[in-house]
Amino acid sequence: MIKYLLYQLKKYPLAIAGIAVLILWVLIAIFGPLIVTHTHTEMDSANQMVSPGTAGHLLGTDSMGRDILARIVYGSRSILTVALLTSIFSTLLGIGFGFMAGYFGGKLDAAFLRAMDILMAIPPLVLSMVVLGILGDSSILTLTLIVSIAFIPATARVSRGVLLTEKSQEYVSAARIRGESHLYIMFIEILPNTTGPILVEATARFAYSIMMVASLGFLGVGLQPPTPDWGMMVIENKPIISQAPWAVLFPALAIASLVIAISIFSDFVSKVLIHER
Amino acid sequence: MNDNILEIQNLNVQFKTFEGKFSAVRDVSLTLKRNESIGIIGESGCGKSTLAFSIMRYLASNAEMDGVLNFNGKDLMENTESEMDKIRGNRIAMVFQNPSTSLNPSLTIGFQLDEVGIMHQKLSKKDARKASIAALELMNIGDPKGTAKRYPHQISGGIQQRICIAMAILCKPDVMILDEPTTALDVTTEAVILDSIKDLKDKLDMSLIYISHDMGVINKVSEQIVVMYNGEVVEQGPKTKIFENPSHPYTRALINCMPRGGVVKENTKLNTIKGYVRRRGIIESGCPYVDRCDARNDTCEAKYGMRMIEESHTAACDRAYAEDIEDTIIKKRKPRVRIEQPKELHTVLELEDLHKVYGSRRKIYAVNGVDVAVNGGTVIGIVGESGCGKSTTGHMVAGLHKPTKGKMIFNDTDITSGWRKRSPETLKDIQLIFQNPGRSLNPSHTVEQIIGRPMQRLLHINSKEERRKKIISMLHKVDLGGEYLAKKPNQLSGGEQQRVAIARALSISPKLIVCDEPTSALDVSVQASVLNLLNDLQHDSEVTYFFISHDLNVVNYISDTIMVMYAGKICEYGKRDEVMSKPFHPYTEALLSAMPEVDPTKQKDPIRLEGGLPDPAKKPKGCPFAGRCHKQVGKICEEQYPPMVKFSDTHYYNCHIANPEM
Repeated sequence: MIKYLLYQLKKYPLAIAGIAVLILWVLIAIFGPLIVTHTHTEMDSANQMVSPGTAGHLLGTDSMGRDILARIVYGSRSILTVALLTSIFSTLLGIGFGFMAGYFGGKLDAAFLRAMDILMAIPPLVLSMVVLGILGDSSILTLTLIVSIAFIPATARVSRGVLLTEKSQEYVSAARIRGESHLYIMFIEILPNTTGPILVEATARFAYSIMMVASLGFLGVGLQPPTPDWGMMVIENKPIISQAPWAVLFPALAIASLVIAISIFSDFVSKVLIHER
Repeated sequence: MNDNILEIQNLNVQFKTFEGKFSAVRDVSLTLKRNESIGIIGESGCGKSTLAFSIMRYLASNAEMDGVLNFNGKDLMENTESEMDKIRGNRIAMVFQNPSTSLNPSLTIGFQLDEVGIMHQKLSKKDARKASIAALELMNIGDPKGTAKRYPHQISGGIQQRICIAMAILCKPDVMILDEPTTALDVTTEAVILDSIKDLKDKLDMSLIYISHDMGVINKVSEQIVVMYNGEVVEQGPKTKIFENPSHPYTRALINCMPRGGVVKENTKLNTIKGYVRRRGIIESGCPYVDRCDARNDTCEAKYGMRMIEESHTAACDRAYAEDIEDTIIKKRKPRVRIEQPKELHTVLELEDLHKVYGSRRKIYAVNGVDVAVNGGTVIGIVGESGCGKSTTGHMVAGLHKPTKGKMIFNDTDITSGWRKRSPETLKDIQLIFQNPGRSLNPSHTVEQIIGRPMQRLLHINSKEERRKKIISMLHKVDLGGEYLAKKPNQLSGGEQQRVAIARALSISPKLIVCDEPTSALDVSVQASVLNLLNDLQHDSEVTYFFISHDLNVVNYISDTIMVMYAGKICEYGKRDEVMSKPFHPYTEALLSAMPEVDPTKQKDPIRLEGGLPDPAKKPKGCPFAGRCHKQVGKICEEQYPPMVKFSDTHYYNCHIANPEM
């Protein structure tokens, strides 16, 4: 298995870079706060809007004198947590809904498809924005739940699709004529054979949820202060972009690097898992 | 001009994979004369198709090839890609196994044929169409103009394949390569296509390379035979010499393992080849067949090389010459004397006027009234072309589908319902073995889970240890061992997979097993061993088989009673010997006549069935076979369903010809 992975990595060297960046971000999220000298809320009033490289402020500070590096490091924790939970939740919910609809078919499936069409008609960003706006509460938990629900149409459709191809396989017929229950067939017979496409979708959802959380933060309905949020940092510092471009640039770069790294990783997963068959 | 159109010298093809390099074709040399037909034979994984593709220099990107490919006096290996484009499809044409995937479903037949002429011969659209029509006419396709306007899905598989051949011959190529062109088709269609291929060769003066795993098919179309094993040529020579005096053990085994020439289970055990084709690395040497050969000796692993047996006949076995081998000619089949106890016959399964209609808006009449009683402890063979309703009948018995009309009675219980409403007892008693073991075993479960689950579910054996003990004894019964427990299906060969599937079916001691073409996805040598196994297990456990197959020879070998089906109805039913010794129904007769024969000296009077099955969406009024029947008596055939003609208590057929001597 490891040999096979190394062989695949050799074939797609870009994946090494992607995985390295991803691992780097995970390490930063776990150990970063132990290393940085400031916290994300600490205001250094003597050093407002200082440029990167100034003593003690490697990436400079914003208009209130908060350390950009510290805010990015603390922000990575919240964004990775939300994104990870979101991709897990939306995938699990998607498997549940998609499998039920695809397996039983008929009217249930038709109703499911129409419901998904309605949900899909509203862009997930708009949907989450409206719901979060109405709720007026953006803790990590609510944010995760709302974004997960907004992602269900995508994950459920993928799950339904792979279930449909597996459902016609003869091993399912074999299970049926020995009288297995529907749940057994769905989750013990079929599920293990659909992990490839579902995992790929889950990693892609990981990247999407980072974009989503950042966008929501940018729009002001994401995680609320004092929780640090990269999207929020971009919008907060927009007024001072001409005096202190670093205050916008670095959080934006952080978002971009993480999203691209995960996208590359997701591509790699799909190549390894799906082409394997 | 050179007499040889194609000369291959020391061709090697290797594939680079992450497990290292392995060689698919090794050191192959052969020559193809003008207007000659070479048949390449071997099991799957022997490099036959790779060889064909490498002649066209059309291989995957991880392939490396070297050697000499002299085509018309020029080495193809030195050609550039654009020069190759002018040869592919133009001078060397190829026909693939599956016609439905080699035609583009969204373009008309005419358009796809015209493309060839426009592309290679720079014809105008009008001329290209003329050439296409001419090619279709050459292939004896009725109404070529109408066919050209149709789409592939509106045409039956047999005609599709003929269109593919028409496409190949459009440019009048020098060489046509046919890669198992009839494997996916019915025997009756196969017979018609083989005839037309033979015709074409003489008409167009071209050379053929015909690839097949079936000795009988090769026998029909080829003059020269090349036997390939594991990427190497192990024997080659003229057809007659190979059949009379097969020198390589592999050739002998291939000829012997098919249940041909009317062998039946009571007196013969089929010959098998143990093991399976093993992938080889590029550095290994010695005889490739050594691990499966039952006549090997110490020198085999070291020495390897072609030997001439007589002029133009060579074999790569060191021992091909040896005089000490008793079975230099064809190895005698192992005789088996089985004393059949006169059994007390009791009916275990009864089908009464069984019907199955699929679909609600557009109805497909799959099974139209099947009445049959199956005796316990016997094997009933159901035979017919694809689409005749034999699998549907089997699936209804197994409970996958619910019949539309009619009754099924199993051991005095009504099982007309589908699996949902059957009692666990019935579910246990009726098992199904599928055609394709790769699809009927869950790829992510281990062998232990696969065989153990029915025991847990239907026999309620909950202790893991107890189950494991039973599984291991079951694995031994199907000639596998305990080391298979933790393996997953993709780690097994096709034959091993089917053995696991058989073990799963037998593990809960059922009373009836529906075998839905259990050997047709397997290689011939594996087919033989699976048939032997099924046969022995049936004999020991007294289970009843409902054995479905399209292969009359297989059915003849294993069955006690035979039922011939056509368009959802029974044509002929009777004891094996009654049906096979002298078939009365014209359809049975045609099926028998279409079987390719291995013995080149035997000639059968050919009965060729044109056309396909009647439209399953219509309920025929008369005899469903009337349209293709060679013995039609008159209008009555199309207007009235034929009466049942009874010969004995056990033998009847449905035909208007009351007197079979007619």
